[in-house]
Amino acid sequence: MQEFEPKIVAFVCNWCTYAGADLTGTSRIKYSANVKIIRFPCTGRIDFMILMKAFENGADGIIVSGCHPNDCHYSTGNFHARRRWIVFRNLLNFTGIDTERIQFSWVSAAEGFKWADVVNNTVARINEMGPYENYSKIAVSTLLNEEVDSNE
Amino acid sequence: MPRIGVFVCHCGENISATVNCEKVAKISSELKGVEFSTDYKYMCSDPGQTMLKEAIKEHKLDGVVVAACSPRMHEPTFRKACAEAGLNPYLCEMSNIREHCSWVHPKDDLTTEKAEDLVRVMVEKVKKNKPLNSIKVPVTKTALVIGGGVAGIQAALDIANCGHKVIMVEKQPSIGGHMSQLSETFPTLDCSQCILTPRMVEIAQHPNITLFTYAEVEKVDGFIGNFKVTIRKKSKSLDEHLCTGCGLCTTKCPQKKIPNEFERGLGYRPAIYVPFPQAVPNKPVIDRENCTYYIKGKCKVCEIVCPTKAIRFDQEDEIVEVDAGAIVLATGFDVLQPDFFPEYGYGKYKDVIDGLQFERLASASGPTLGEIRRPSDGQIPKKIVFVACAGSRDPAKGIEYCSKICCMYTAKHAMLYKHKVHDGTPYVFYMDIRAGGKMYEEFVRRAIVEDETHYIRGRVSTIYEKNGKLIVKGADTLMGAQPIEIEADMVVLATAGVASKGAEALAQTVHVSYDSYKFFAEAHPKLKPVETNTAGIFLAGACQAPKDIPESVAAASGAAVKVAALFSNSELTREPLVAVVNRQAPPVFSSCVGCFLCQSVCPYLAIEREEIKNRNGEVIKTLAKVNEGLCQGCGTCVALCRTKAIDIHGYSNQQVYTEVMALLNE
Amino acid sequence: MNELKNKVTQLLNDKAIDVFIGYGQGSADRIRAIFVRTAEQAGNLIFNASCTQNLAGYLLKHEVKHLGKLGILANTAALRSMMQLASEFQIRDSEVLVLFVNPDGSLTEFSSFISIETFLGSTDTGITADEKSRIEKLEAMTVKERWEFWNTEFEKCIKCYACRAACPMCYCHRCTTDVNQPQWIPVASHERGNLDYHLMRAMHLAGRCVNCGECANACPMDIPLNLLTYQLIEPIKADFGATAGMKADAMYALSTFKPEDKENFII
Repeated sequence: MQEFEPKIVAFVCNWCTYAGADLTGTSRIKYSANVKIIRFPCTGRIDFMILMKAFENGADGIIVSGCHPNDCHYSTGNFHARRRWIVFRNLLNFTGIDTERIQFSWVSAAEGFKWADVVNNTVARINEMGPYENYSKIAVSTLLNEEVDSNE
Repeated sequence: MPRIGVFVCHCGENISATVNCEKVAKISSELKGVEFSTDYKYMCSDPGQTMLKEAIKEHKLDGVVVAACSPRMHEPTFRKACAEAGLNPYLCEMSNIREHCSWVHPKDDLTTEKAEDLVRVMVEKVKKNKPLNSIKVPVTKTALVIGGGVAGIQAALDIANCGHKVIMVEKQPSIGGHMSQLSETFPTLDCSQCILTPRMVEIAQHPNITLFTYAEVEKVDGFIGNFKVTIRKKSKSLDEHLCTGCGLCTTKCPQKKIPNEFERGLGYRPAIYVPFPQAVPNKPVIDRENCTYYIKGKCKVCEIVCPTKAIRFDQEDEIVEVDAGAIVLATGFDVLQPDFFPEYGYGKYKDVIDGLQFERLASASGPTLGEIRRPSDGQIPKKIVFVACAGSRDPAKGIEYCSKICCMYTAKHAMLYKHKVHDGTPYVFYMDIRAGGKMYEEFVRRAIVEDETHYIRGRVSTIYEKNGKLIVKGADTLMGAQPIEIEADMVVLATAGVASKGAEALAQTVHVSYDSYKFFAEAHPKLKPVETNTAGIFLAGACQAPKDIPESVAAASGAAVKVAALFSNSELTREPLVAVVNRQAPPVFSSCVGCFLCQSVCPYLAIEREEIKNRNGEVIKTLAKVNEGLCQGCGTCVALCRTKAIDIHGYSNQQVYTEVMALLNE
Repeated sequence: MNELKNKVTQLLNDKAIDVFIGYGQGSADRIRAIFVRTAEQAGNLIFNASCTQNLAGYLLKHEVKHLGKLGILANTAALRSMMQLASEFQIRDSEVLVLFVNPDGSLTEFSSFISIETFLGSTDTGITADEKSRIEKLEAMTVKERWEFWNTEFEKCIKCYACRAACPMCYCHRCTTDVNQPQWIPVASHERGNLDYHLMRAMHLAGRCVNCGECANACPMDIPLNLLTYQLIEPIKADFGATAGMKADAMYALSTFKPEDKENFII
């Protein structure tokens, strides 16, 4: 039985968290390799449909991270993102998607240690929760009656 | 079919120590669309970049992925190299396999697999990249300086001395601002007007500066490099070309009892007046609200006596439209009326005055010709009490913040008083002494030691009149909160500095943000203290936050150099990673439905409304349009748009989707 | 009812409007919307207790808009839809003539948005007690149970998009679902694509839904999809102080913010 290696996608903003992750690297702080970063100009750019797409394609967990409130490089992007996430999280919870699988954080360009912590804690949590099967169970292949039968 | 080149860097051993670079290059070569894939020791070195350029030409690559350090490090390097090889620089992306991979993970298969994943993501993304060209915005090399105080003056002179044109707009009849009202300045006790008036004259005489006084900015349209400003020149009732500034009219005007604003109500002026003797321009204006001719239709004495016939009673306001490339806001501050402390008796007792009024008393050209005299009976006060923090640092009744300059000017006032009234006794009630500038602490020490000022640490609870004296009741906290009572002849309240009147309206006209105290908001409190979030608009002086003269001058010069940098090219070049609203053929024109959510979230006011008209000139649709001169590329509008009508170059919907799909699917 | 017919006839004759949207008799005891353009057609207008459809959905439909100046018989839900549409710049003040039937049968003509806002301020505009209890029941379930519930419901969805067509707030002439470069929302009617579509719709309606219920009414598969958007109404009101459809210049909850917005999940 292959050991479960969680697949976690991190959506981060260029000016704070991406730079913070760079600092983690420069400081040679070690963290788990299960998290892979996709760069955005600002958390304000991160649409909720991107998060849905990640789960749909097999992500077991998601990290969304940006600048602290009041520090946004574009002054207000993270405030808009924050409201969007408050509402989206509410909706996900109501629809039965476990919001524990998504970690939101504010990591500044100076917080190299914090980024490593966020990654390691998220990976540990997802490890415990196991692979995210909800979405893969209702895969397209049910139409073709391949391997997964969602009625069982 | 795309022809992508993948270049995996070893970075010496930084990457290759934990990532198997040859394997990453090999796996990448098997990706669909990858024409050429290699690994190399130092991609950023000269030979590395040469190899990159040759590969582009030899293999006719139309996209490049360099898997190396962070793009925050070398993206410009590799984009430049691609441009030199004839490939559009925005068809080059970097995959971060050093800071985000090799440096933070151990040497094992998972690390190499992660590097392969990260490269695959960028290969798929770069297939969706479009060639882009830098955006060029033309720049009008004229600066508009709003405000003619010391900060505005400094900024205008600095910009004009760089060879650029400056238009200065001042709402008072003369430039000079509050600094012209001061008697002496700390910590040198320089005569304020003596150091300011030469600068004021320089403004008037400078060939590059056009001065509009008694004028206000009414409307600002446009954007950085291309502002269109409407200025209203209020009618002075005077033909400025004919007026010689002889001043005869001001001596003959029968209206002599109008409270003088420059003297803060401590003196009077006529209806036709020059605000102060050193005014620039030194020409009078008629105060129409108080002039007998405008009220009753009689008099006209000034017109009769004027030797050059310069008076024009029916002159109207003039509207002037100017083009400017940059705007400097230097509108200064105002002094808060301390009448919200009824227990201090300001307004009730004539001898309770504020700091700026004391300046006028101390000033040689003031209402008492420099003698400290009580406003009530003209006597010289023998005991004077200065109350610091009268309104500042007071969340309950006044202003929460510290007004910064009061500790220093209170010490100065005590010293000026003692220099003029040798047998007088000054007292200062204070909470803390904030003297952080160069020679400031020494200055306060002088006031205490040399000029025998009694500093009492405590607040004043009440001031009332008894037998012609002002009883000041306070506490001395250094003596165990012992109550203290002083029979003073005069009290000076060091009141708070607040945003100048009309600041909020001006901020809205010019489109800059302001804080809850109506001070203009800087772009970043630490690193961008003289810029605003509105491109092309800069801040100088106390309009941003209370500050003293050296800080105002420094900020003004800082703002001036920002303007000079902007004007150093005739075009502004910007990164093309901006948003764009789609356009289609009629009758659809765009998938945009005109809800303008994008406009409401843009912090840079970069979204405009475009009216689509039919052949009869009727508006059939109003659509959003991005001003690429202003867009900073945050993408908040893109995430918010429900119909996906707005997209952003470099992080487009297609590119982001592709990245997610590529990351999770092998 | 006669007052209504007479009023509409007069408006048409005076050329104050070109077409009036009201209720008429449909087939088999159903009520349907009718589009009255002549005095004769005005005779088909009816009004009774079954006339509950939110007619505001027709205001932005291209087939109706191009007919000229519009008049509409609005109920409270339609008035709220109009306020929300106005705050999104889709209709302008006095562009539509609005008639409202009061509980006592008399007619009110709203002359401007201000009068509509004033009226709405005095009405009860929340979701019904039944809807509230259904939401509470769902909220009392575990996350897993809720997933099972919604998946069972979305299994039924046939992607007919009737909900989208019926909702007055879904006026984008190119819906996100129809964008295929890239295809964010799968269009096939399998469970995963259905879930994505309904999540997307709920998010796009967050802060804009005026709880008229037309989406659930229109669904041929009886999916309670209005509960998804209704559930967000209370939290958005509590967290951000925003209620949709009450003012013609209201700020949208998701395009505004306060620096002190509170959350408990961001580390």
